[in-house]
Amino acid sequence: MTRSPEDVAVGTRARALFEAQELANSRRTDRLFAWLLGIQWLLGILVAVWVSPLAWEGRWSHMHIHVWAAVLLGGVLAGFPILLALRLPGAPLTRHVIAGAQMMSSALLIHLTGGRIETHFHIFGSLAFLAFYRDGRVLLTATIVVVVDHYLRGAFWPQSVFGVAVATPWRWMEHSGWVLFEDAFLLLAIRQSLDAMRGLAERQARLEHLNANIENQVAERTAELKKENTERKRAEEALVAAHKDLLESSRLAGMAEIATNVLHNVGNVLNSVNVSAALASECIRKSDVQNLDRLAVMLREHEGDLAGFLAKDPRAAQIPVFLSRLAEHLRTSQETALKELAALDENIGHIKEIVSMQQNYAKVSGCQEVVDLAALVEDSLNLNVGAFTRHRIDVIRDFETVPPLSLDKHKVLQVLINLVRNAKYACDASENVPKTITLRVARGDGRVKISVSDNGIGIPPENLSRIFQHGFTTREEGHGFGLHSSALAVREIGGSLSVHSDGLNRGATFVLEIPIPNTQPAHD
Amino acid sequence: MPNPDADCLETPVRKERGWAILAALWAVLVIAGAGMLMAYSYTPGETGPAVPVWPATTRLPLASDGPTLVMFAHPKCPCTRASLGELETLMARVQGKVKARVVFFRPEEEGENWAETDLWRAASAIPGVEVQVDSDGREAELFEASTSGHVVLYDAAGHLLFRGGITEARGHRGDNVGRWSVTDLLRHGHASHTVTPTFGCPLQDPAPPSPAPET
Repeated sequence: MTRSPEDVAVGTRARALFEAQELANSRRTDRLFAWLLGIQWLLGILVAVWVSPLAWEGRWSHMHIHVWAAVLLGGVLAGFPILLALRLPGAPLTRHVIAGAQMMSSALLIHLTGGRIETHFHIFGSLAFLAFYRDGRVLLTATIVVVVDHYLRGAFWPQSVFGVAVATPWRWMEHSGWVLFEDAFLLLAIRQSLDAMRGLAERQARLEHLNANIENQVAERTAELKKENTERKRAEEALVAAHKDLLESSRLAGMAEIATNVLHNVGNVLNSVNVSAALASECIRKSDVQNLDRLAVMLREHEGDLAGFLAKDPRAAQIPVFLSRLAEHLRTSQETALKELAALDENIGHIKEIVSMQQNYAKVSGCQEVVDLAALVEDSLNLNVGAFTRHRIDVIRDFETVPPLSLDKHKVLQVLINLVRNAKYACDASENVPKTITLRVARGDGRVKISVSDNGIGIPPENLSRIFQHGFTTREEGHGFGLHSSALAVREIGGSLSVHSDGLNRGATFVLEIPIPNTQPAHD
Repeated sequence: MPNPDADCLETPVRKERGWAILAALWAVLVIAGAGMLMAYSYTPGETGPAVPVWPATTRLPLASDGPTLVMFAHPKCPCTRASLGELETLMARVQGKVKARVVFFRPEEEGENWAETDLWRAASAIPGVEVQVDSDGREAELFEASTSGHVVLYDAAGHLLFRGGITEARGHRGDNVGRWSVTDLLRHGHASHTVTPTFGCPLQDPAPPSPAPET
């Protein structure tokens, strides 16, 4: 069965972790043994000084060789392994030398204590301590040292002295057997410990692999989120810019519509001006000035005998009638001309008024000023008054007293003009008579509500939800800017704009609501 | 052209090889030291000639109803602790079949307390064992005992049965030919060895350096 690349990677990492742990364990145990060997050395010296400080010959004494052995042999025995533990920690050589030194330390201690059976426990303790290395070969080294030492001392040396082995020949084997007995358990424990270490290394490797995967995923996801965030930010910035552009476009569109409206109204008035001027001109052109000239020529011809002419010439008899008729004609022409000139003057005054009003509202928007809303509604009507007259639309006003509000006058007027113009168009498009536009100004719920109602073409239900969308219009010449820009403008001033219609040919009502600042909802 | 990578790889190997050589030298040194210690431990003390019959001039009593065992000991010899230990074992095994006595060396000029050491007290505590002082080692000289821990065993008739030490090595307790032999003699009347080496401190003062031969 082939292993997946992931399993291979985990296996490799687990082996590396296991080996690293083994090395760390060996180094740690080396350090422990460095301490232990040092302590054992000092302990050996103490034992030698305590048990056999002096050797005697009769009444004379000198330092016992055991003290020298404890200091010198013990020092050599401990010194080199300590040096190895410090200079070559974790190396196999170090732990094998330590194993040999530890066993030889046992032998020295046993020797220094006069072969006390209790000191032999040091061997078994040392074996257990050596098992800390979790290396069966270290136990093997220790066991070999013990076996060789026992064999040489127990078998060879007494034999050389006594000629025969002091103990039974197999005594060294018995001792070695007990060591092997302990080795068996220690090897079992080492194997279990190594298995546990391997398991731990594998678990850690899997965990690391998992963590690495998670970290990668987190990094990828973070990068994605960062990218998305950047894109979102850009989109937001683009949206803000677009919104700004749209507002500006809407504002320009509104201004254009107002300008168009103004020009339309001025154009209409100019039409009247033109008619009046034409009528006055026609009137003056049609006056009987030529006949009067002919009378004057005729009278100048008879200037020498004017009396005779008046008495005898029959044409002279018609002069009074002519003059009477001429006077009548000139009076009529004068009246007509004066009437037309008066109309002309009135229309020119109207144009001035329209231009003046437009100039008044053409100021920069965004400035807050205290506004009388009823007056503002009236202004919006005045800008369309000519159209109302021409299209025979009745305007009904129903104004409650509302408090003056501080707001962007231009924006509200722009909205009102749009609403009034829409109402006018709605009435135009309808056959309903009489055509009526009703404007109401009321106060309620902490707001001022301005409604513009008409009995015109109305709005089908399916269009109600789209009426404020950008580009939506039902008029052929419309652009779909008016209501959309109105809705945006209203939102900017914190108000709302809503529409209601009972359907086609049932009229429509637009309600502009403007909050009254720092007021509780009205209970009126 | 030398390969730097190969050099880098060889360095730890060389280093470890150097340590291995040092370890081998260390092992040799340790084995040599241990060997010297073993040689010291297994080097017996001097053994004088046998005294086959209980000396007539001795003040030590000879038991008439059984064998008499005498151990000559130096009260301050650390190696003798093992001999006393083996004597204790021996006495426990033979259970009253022998009259035992430990005779402690004391220089004549020294006071009573000089010999009353822990070894004295240890010997006194062994059941069936009597303890006494051997002033200036006179009794030891009579029995030709020159090493602390030297044991002589005589039968009731004053005939020598055994002489030597009852430890395996210097200051080492444990099974040994000397103790076995004495035990066998007391139990069965015969033993494989009647003479063994004695491990311990010399009982007599060191001999003065011999004068240079006159020319």
